[in-house]
Order: sequence, then C-alpha cells, then structure tokens
Amino acid sequence: MPDREPGARRIRVRGDAAVRILLFFVGLLLVGACTEQSNSVESESTTVVLKHSKLFGDPRPFERLLVQFERANPGVLVRAESLPAASDEQHQFYAINLAARSADFDVLALDVIWVAEFARAGWLRDVSHLLPEAQRNEFFHGPIEAVTWQGRLYALPWFMDAGVLYYRKDLLAKHQLAPPKTWDAMVQAARTIGERESGMHGFVWQGKQYEGLVCNALEYMWSNGGEVLRAGRVVLDGPSNRVALAFMRNLITSGVTPEFVSTLTEEPAREIFGRGSAVFLRNWPYAWQLFEQTGSAVRGKVGVSVLPHFPGQQSAATLGGWQLGVNRYTKHPQAAERLALYLASPAAQKALALAYGYNPPRRKLYQDKQLLAAQPFLAKLRAVYEHARPRPVTPHYVRLSQVLQAELSGALAGLKTPEQALADAQRDIEAILR
Amino acid sequence: MKREHSALFLAPAAITLGAVALFPVLSVLWLSLEQRSPLTDAARFIGLDNYARLLADTRFWNAFWNTTYFTVFSVTLELLLGLGMALLLARAFRGRALVYSLILLPWAIPTVVSARLWEWMYNADYGVLNYLLGTQINWLGSPAWALHAAILMDVWKATPFVALLLLAGLQTIPRELYQAAALDGASGWTVLRRITLPQLVPLMLVILIFRTIDAFRVFDAIYVLTGGGPANSTETLSIYAYKVLFQALEFGYGSALAVSVLVVVALLTIVYARLLRVRIA
Amino acid sequence: MRPLRGAGLVLIVAWSLAPFLWLLATSLKTAAELTHLPPLLPSAPTGSHYIAVFTGYPFLRIIANSTAVAALSTLLAIAIGATAAFALARLRVRNAPLILVAVLAVSMFPPIATVSPLFLAINAVGLRDTLAALVITYTTFALPLSIWLLTNFFRQVPVEIYLAARVDGCSAFQAFYRVILPLSAPGLFAAAILVFIFCWNEFLYALSFTATTASRTIPVGIALFPGLHEVPWGEIAAASVVVTVPLAVLAFTFQRRIVEGLTAGAVKG
Repeated sequence: MPDREPGARRIRVRGDAAVRILLFFVGLLLVGACTEQSNSVESESTTVVLKHSKLFGDPRPFERLLVQFERANPGVLVRAESLPAASDEQHQFYAINLAARSADFDVLALDVIWVAEFARAGWLRDVSHLLPEAQRNEFFHGPIEAVTWQGRLYALPWFMDAGVLYYRKDLLAKHQLAPPKTWDAMVQAARTIGERESGMHGFVWQGKQYEGLVCNALEYMWSNGGEVLRAGRVVLDGPSNRVALAFMRNLITSGVTPEFVSTLTEEPAREIFGRGSAVFLRNWPYAWQLFEQTGSAVRGKVGVSVLPHFPGQQSAATLGGWQLGVNRYTKHPQAAERLALYLASPAAQKALALAYGYNPPRRKLYQDKQLLAAQPFLAKLRAVYEHARPRPVTPHYVRLSQVLQAELSGALAGLKTPEQALADAQRDIEAILR
Repeated sequence: MKREHSALFLAPAAITLGAVALFPVLSVLWLSLEQRSPLTDAARFIGLDNYARLLADTRFWNAFWNTTYFTVFSVTLELLLGLGMALLLARAFRGRALVYSLILLPWAIPTVVSARLWEWMYNADYGVLNYLLGTQINWLGSPAWALHAAILMDVWKATPFVALLLLAGLQTIPRELYQAAALDGASGWTVLRRITLPQLVPLMLVILIFRTIDAFRVFDAIYVLTGGGPANSTETLSIYAYKVLFQALEFGYGSALAVSVLVVVALLTIVYARLLRVRIA
Repeated sequence: MRPLRGAGLVLIVAWSLAPFLWLLATSLKTAAELTHLPPLLPSAPTGSHYIAVFTGYPFLRIIANSTAVAALSTLLAIAIGATAAFALARLRVRNAPLILVAVLAVSMFPPIATVSPLFLAINAVGLRDTLAALVITYTTFALPLSIWLLTNFFRQVPVEIYLAARVDGCSAFQAFYRVILPLSAPGLFAAAILVFIFCWNEFLYALSFTATTASRTIPVGIALFPGLHEVPWGEIAAASVVVTVPLAVLAFTFQRRIVEGLTAGAVKG
C-alpha cells in the first residue's frame, strides 16, 4: 500500500482539477446556449436564409448585393450561409435536411443536375410564376431546360458554365497551326507540338472517376451525334458513342494525354496547363481569369474556342452552373421567392459577374458594354453558351451518373473495351429508369 | 463484503446509449426493411427484399471484396508495426515522451487533411513520392495501385492508435513477472513470447476488433483520396452506402448496405475471439 | 541491442513525422510554389497563410468550440465508461459478455447510416446548431471504445489488489476510485487521448448538425475556408499545423507527467 500512495495522491489532486475543468466547460456550454437563445428571440422582421456554395473571392460585393435587397424589401433580413465547395457535400447536406423537412433555410443554390431530382422529391417550390413564358427567352436555352421538370420551372438559373477548349495560341502560331476545329486536327496539332517542344503534355482534361468525367465524355459523344437518352429511351450503346469513347481511350494510349489523367479534376488539370506544361486543356470558363492574372506563366498566350467536333457533326459543350431554388418547407415563401428573383435579376447577375467572374445565364448581358469592357472574354463565351447542353434531365440522373462514371473510368483504364463499357452502362441505366 | 450495486455503475452508460444510440440504430435496421426514397411516392415495407437485392448486386460484392482486402492488409500491418513501436518505447529512455508525441501525429491530423496530404504526395506529376523514388507511377489513377495506395495511407494514419494502446498495455504489465523471468535467466525473445505477448492478448483482441470495425467502415479518407475510383476499384462498402444514401437518395437500400457492414464485422469479431481463445468477459 | 533500438526509433519517428513536415513546409510556401516540385522546401518561407487563417475568419472561435466539445465529451465518455467498465471487469454482472457485445454493436454502424436519424432526433429536441448536440453524440459513440478499453485495463490490475481493498473495508466505489483508477492510469490516459482526438477530428456529424460558426468545429471550419481558388492549400496546411500541434503537446504532457511519474514511482521498472 505505501508504494501506491504518492501516485494515488497525485491522481486525487488531478481528480479535483478534472472536476474543476469539467465545471468550466459546462459553464462555457451554458453561456453558449444562452447566447443562442438571445439570437433566436422573435423579432418583427422575417429572416430569409440563403444557402449557397463557397464564394471564391472577396465576400463584400455579395454582402452589398444582399444589403441592397434588404433596403428594397423593408422587414426582410437576409442571412447567407455557405456550404463546403464540394458538390457532393452540398448534395448530402440538402438530402439530410430536406428529407427531414427542415425549414432552416429558404433559398438554396442548386447544382444544375439536381433540379429534376429535388423537384421529383418534392423539395422545391414551383416557381414557374416567377418567370413567365415570355421572359424565358431572356435566358439561354440550356439552363431553362435544366430547371424545367414536367413542364414546370423549379429553379431560376443563377450562373452558368460550359466546357471550352483552351489552347496555347503562341505555340500554335509558332508551328503554323490553326486552332483545331475537329478532334483529329487537335490530336495532330498536339502531336506535332509535343514532338518539337520538350516537356509538354498534349491534351489534359478531367478523367478521374467523378461527375466531371461524365461532363467530358458527353462532349465527345454529343459532338459525334451520340446521345444518352432520346425520347425517354436509353441509346447509349450506339456506333457514335463507341467511336467517341474509343477516341478518348486512344488519347491515353497514344500518349497525347498522360496516363494520370485518371486522377485529374478541374484544378489539377488547370494547374498543368497554367504552368505551361500542356498544349490543350478542356475546362470551364473560370480558368481564364487565372491564366490571365499577373504572374501567370501563360499570360497572354492562351486562346479559347468551342470544343472540337467529329467530322460532319457539331461542337457540343456540357452545361454546368448553379440555380436558385426555394425550399418547399420554407416558412417565408413570398420573401424567399423575392430574394430568388432578385438574385436572378439582370442587375444582380451583372454585379456577380463583375465581382466574381460568374457567367450570367441571361443573353442580353453578353452585349452589355460595361461587362464586356471588364471581361472581354465574355464575347467568346456567347457562342459556346448558345449551344451548351444539359446532362440528361431526370430525377435519377445521379444514379445514372454513377453507372456512367464507373463504366467510363473502366474503359479509360483499359479494363474494358469501349463497346463492353457502353453495353454494360446501357443495361444498368435501363434498369434504373425502368 | 457490502453489496456491490453493479446496476448503479452500469446505469450512466446504459442511459446514455439507450437515449442517444438506440433510436438511430433501430431506425437503420427498420429502414433496411423498407423501400424508401424521396424519389418514389410512398415508403413500403418490403421485408428482406433489400437484402436479396444486395446479395445479387455485383457492385456490392465488388465493394465487399475491396473492403475485405483493405481491412485485412491494413489491420495486419497496423498491428505488426504498432507492436514494434510499442516495444521500442516500452523501456524508459530520455526523450521518450517526445518520441511518443511525435509518433502520435499521424493519428492527430484531421482525416480529411491527411487524405489530401497523401493525395498530394501520390500525385503522379509533381508528387513527393514519385519525386523521391524517381518513378512515374500513376498511384491513384490506376486500378492496380489505387487500393494499395489507400492501404498505405491508412496504415500510416492508424498505427499510432495501435501503438498507443499497446504501450499503455505494456506499461501496466506487473513488473514482478519480468523480475521473476530475469531471475530465471530467460532471454529477451522468450520473455516476449512467454510473458509480454500473452499478457497483451486481451488488449490485442480489443484493438483488433476496433481497428477492424474502423477499417470496414472507412469512408472519409478513401473518398477524399480517390472518390471510389478508378473504375470502382477503391469503392468500399461505406462509400457505396454513401453514394446510395446521399446521392441516389435510396434510404432503404443504403441502410441495408450499412447493416451488411454490421453483420460482417460482428462475424469477424466472433472469429477473432475464437482464434485468440479469449473469453470476452 | 542499443544501436538497433536507436535505429528503430529514428525510423519510426521519420516515418511518422515526414508527411507532417511536408505539411509544415507547404504551410510556409508562397502561393506560387505550392504546387511545384522542386523545390522541396520553401525558398522564401512566408507566414502569410498563418495570418490568413486567423484574420477575416473566426478560426479562434472554431478552435474554442472544438476544445470545449472534445474536452467535455472526453471527460464524460471516460467517466461514464470507467464506471461501467469497472462493473464489467470486477463486479458480478450477469450477462457481461452480452452487454459488451451490445455496446460494441453501437459502434459497428457506419456513421453515414446513423447521421440521418440522429439529425431528425437532434432537430426534434431543438438542439440543432449547438455544441451540446455534438457533445451528446460524441460521448455516446465514444462509449463503446471507452468501455472496452477500460474493461481490459481494469482487468489487468491484479484481482488480489481489488480484493485486498474490499477486505480492508472499502466499498466497491471506493476501491474503484482509490485503487483501480490510479493503477490503470496509463490505460485511462491512452483511452482519453484517443477519445479526444476522435472528437477533435470528427467531421460527418459536425457538418450535419451545425450551420453557423456558433457551433462549428475545426474539421468543418477547414472545409469552409474561403479561398481564391478551389482549394486554398496554404491556409489548409497552416490551419492543420495549428490544430495538430496542441494534440501532440497534450500527448507529450500526459506521457511525461502522468504516466512516467506513476510508473517511475509506484511500480519499479
């Protein structure tokens, strides 16, 4: 027993300290709880909560926009809460909250592929009345198609994106090559330049198994006249798509695209091109500003065009972007709708374009002098956006995409032939849509 | 002896678990017997249909195989390395506390950060690993390498967990046993085999069980590292369940997948206990 | 034996430390160097990322939240777990194996499955976006590990010592508090550190149950870092260094003061 006394005593002292620490933290919690209470005291004004994905840039212009809304709508306060940048995490957040009929937020920013799904799930208010037929033409066709489900509108287009081809115009000029219009011409140019310049990858894009892979693959398939769904039927396994997928696989086997494309998402691919290590890049328009900023290794050397196409066919670009929906369980439907309408208005979209480079889905803004002066790049995007196509608009898109991602990834890794991959994908997707 | 009132000792834990954990656990079990999704009109009770679907689902078996492979290799390596670390630290030396805190670092780093760190190190283009090895291996982008890359990352992260516990176990082995062995002139190896390891076996069972549970449920780390690809070669059961629950919004089938994890782990626990011939109580 | 052991120690320290050092180096690199290799080390180390982490972002508040949640959850999980573990280890409990297995079953469910029902429950009792929700959740899900580990460590204390204390006139609780606990200190603190780290780094429940910085914890805070580009590597690295170092210091303190103090004094090695 005597041997144990010193240790035991030390523990007893520590035990007292532990109790004191415990009480301290309990106190902290109580204080925290009390401050929570005072914040939720009922006030005269209604607070509308906007959930959006992380903004990239200075948050103040956005805050100013919201303050302007508050001034124009006395009695309404806006609280903007951001979600993690990852699309998956946002989808997960919405799934948990909306399945629990949460009224904690009123307006939500939706990825373009979620609208049909959330509409079918009954999570979004019908907002067709906010954008009458006559006004829908003010938007590009793609976003409107994406937010329409069974003839009704369930979200307002907020900003849009579409795949574009970036190229090193300095290198093309140096080797007397024109910006390619067809995929074969692009491969030729990439090979030629790759042979003559050292340390350059030919063409980088997004080949990791994730949603971006589907965006990339659809651009090849659509630009060969292929489709995933046609009039409700699955037509994935067809000759045009087989050619397109074989072409993608060939990019890797021929060395034009490095093998590790299967790990690339938007940013890693952008970095490779931005370092000057690639001739061609497929990415979204956001990258332009990054290439043109001071200190960029490719400043002034980058050209942008629509993506190439297969012979006799038309270029295609996958539509991306975010839409504003109103939570069906919101306690403030009118205020929420007003906020959504405000943020989708030409003035707000112009402000966001100027501050964050987010591309508006409204046609007129692409002729706006002030906007064009600040971002001359927008002039080039207009042609791309006219032809931006949404991914299959179905509530089951996410399940469909999972199948596509896995099969496409398998084909690109050489685990399956393109024919096999498409046949398997067709079978699985038919089962999903049945 | 006075009465022991064991019920009083067990009460706080029973109340906490009962109040908080019972509802989610029962929910998941119940959901697995339903077809429930916001994308279908009504929730229906379908009995064991989800499980029948699961057994016929090739993607399930792919995920099951990936998870088992991952678990077996990760846990084995972690146990061996952890034991080695614990033995190295068992005898006191100057600076032991410092070494102890340093080897804890991998476990202390947030999982998501650690995954990003390894994603970076595995980068085929400018990753440290390829740089130092002078290779061009497509670690995360080739179906052959990706799962092994994930295993290495998990071993790095979780070995401190094992080492920490085994060290605590070593520090509580009564010294008298070692003194007796020294008197008998036993060699270091014999002491290890005959005294140390047998004393540690009950603790090793606990560690084995919890590491297996964690490895079978692994989600965050691999999801950040590879997203389940390429070609679903790193899709574990939890990643599959996540995609079904929160992306495809099939709450019934997703819950059944989660229950399958429970069933497998429970079976493994029984196997461990039998193998190590340890009574659970 | 000595040089072999020394080499072994160097190896395990290098293995554990290397990626962390890489993280540290990254946190000091300028934005331009972040994704380049070479250079391995920053050529012009900058503290800008560390400054960015704390200015314009309530990171201190977030660290305070995490500290409160982790500390309270750990104390509760260890206290509740220890009392239950003592009963299972030394008192006559009918069906002790069954209880242990039932407790274990709680931790066998993937968190992604339990997060939705838990969210419903937390919402129903009005604890959404509070630290209390996290404390309750973490305590509960740390209990299985706590109970199993402590049952094992308490059993390692020779039964004769316990019986001697009881014979001396201690009640069960007194024997538990005065004798068993001190002797299992290494195990207690190992369990405590592990539970603490679990709470410190837990992401899924923290993301799902919290909405504003009032209750945000570190992993969610890192995920929500505002940044010019997709992923602000420099800030993430700096934040990670800032939140990991205290854990190492905590572990160092425990090992040095408590464990070594005890084992040096009480039972000769």
